Amino acid sequence: MAESPGLTPVEYIDRFFDELRAEVRANPKLAARLVKALGGNVVFEDEAKADVANPYSLAAEGDKARFFKIFGAMKLGDLKKVLKENNLATRVDMTGKNADQLVDMLYTRAARKVHERKSSMF
Amino acid sequence: MAALTAAIANLKGGVGKSTTTVMLADGLAYYYGMNVLVIDLDPQANSSQMLLTEQGVQAASDQGKGTHHLLASFMAGKPPSAAPFVMPNAVTLEELRLAEAQDRRQGWISSLPAHPQLRLRELSLEEEWYGKSGTPTTLADALAKHFREAFAPLQSIYDIILLDCPPHLSPLARAGLALADAYITPTIADSVSTWGTKQFSDWVGKFIAPDLPSRNFVLITRFRDTKYARQVASDLREIYLKDRWFGPTIPESVHVLNAMDRAALDSYNTLRGKYAGVTGDVRRLAERFTDFMTQRTGVTWQKVRD
Repeated sequence: MAESPGLTPVEYIDRFFDELRAEVRANPKLAARLVKALGGNVVFEDEAKADVANPYSLAAEGDKARFFKIFGAMKLGDLKKVLKENNLATRVDMTGKNADQLVDMLYTRAARKVHERKSSMF
Repeated sequence: MAALTAAIANLKGGVGKSTTTVMLADGLAYYYGMNVLVIDLDPQANSSQMLLTEQGVQAASDQGKGTHHLLASFMAGKPPSAAPFVMPNAVTLEELRLAEAQDRRQGWISSLPAHPQLRLRELSLEEEWYGKSGTPTTLADALAKHFREAFAPLQSIYDIILLDCPPHLSPLARAGLALADAYITPTIADSVSTWGTKQFSDWVGKFIAPDLPSRNFVLITRFRDTKYARQVASDLREIYLKDRWFGPTIPESVHVLNAMDRAALDSYNTLRGKYAGVTGDVRRLAERFTDFMTQRTGVTWQKVRD
């Protein structure tokens, strides 16, 4: 800021939001977090699904069809990444499984964990 | 105005219940000038030690102060009264001590401390009670009734009563939970603590507070900023406990450890000196919890210090 002392407050704010917009475009995880924090609904685009889609959150929604629609469209490598990064499967567990089997595993294990960790009273 | 009674409780140990108790007591007394009573129901006596030092906990016991003496009065069939067992001065902050010395009390902390003797006394009470065909539930109910009457006169002296509860469901712990208007649940962003928090929710929801979510203030403590911890914290907020109030996330920090280690019973520190790098977390905790109190009681609080 020191090199541009002549900017108006609105120009400073514009710069800030320009930077934020650029980061949101480049970083889908940050974008998803920001949108969720604001109470919005995150729409998953194909290329960002593996980075953004949260199997626990989607399993907790209880919409199995939506879960399978989102994860069923993923490539094998992306599914393995989601399973691994969410502590839902090890390499050993995934060996020899095809994409459909991995989606089944993803749903079964995520739903079970949600059931185990969410209060059964509320 | 009757004090709000908040139980700091979780069935999982090591999640920062005592640390949260002390940070909240300091934050509410310092920033909002509240008079705070800390009641320690945990025989480990950690929050008592943090406020009074080990020497102070023993000195308090020697003077007849503490929850183990309150329990003894119950066992002896004496009329319910808690005031004689309270240590009126448990302030560790220089600003609060100075305000008191200048006769303009803005925030004060008293302690009804625990002592390791509490567990032995509780065991003795349980043996006696069960020997007369009593059950854990009837004992918990009798203790809750006794405590409710014993604490009633204190309700008008203090603005908030913080009950530091042990990580189990002994009759004494259950009595404490039964007294609470609100439940503060510290937890850690990991899988075992998440599961422990579920157990706590299920038990309290079923037996004590069917409206727990609206009375529950959750705090993620000892937070280490890793990808895994961020994911678990996010899941706690958005999936498992999404119907609760959340306080600020308290980082795992050497500043927190230092703040809980009082040099001596006559040692005081400024708020910033005590909490150093986590001073802002203490402020945010007090602000957020005051919002929660306002929502519960309808009473608004103004800051008396920045």
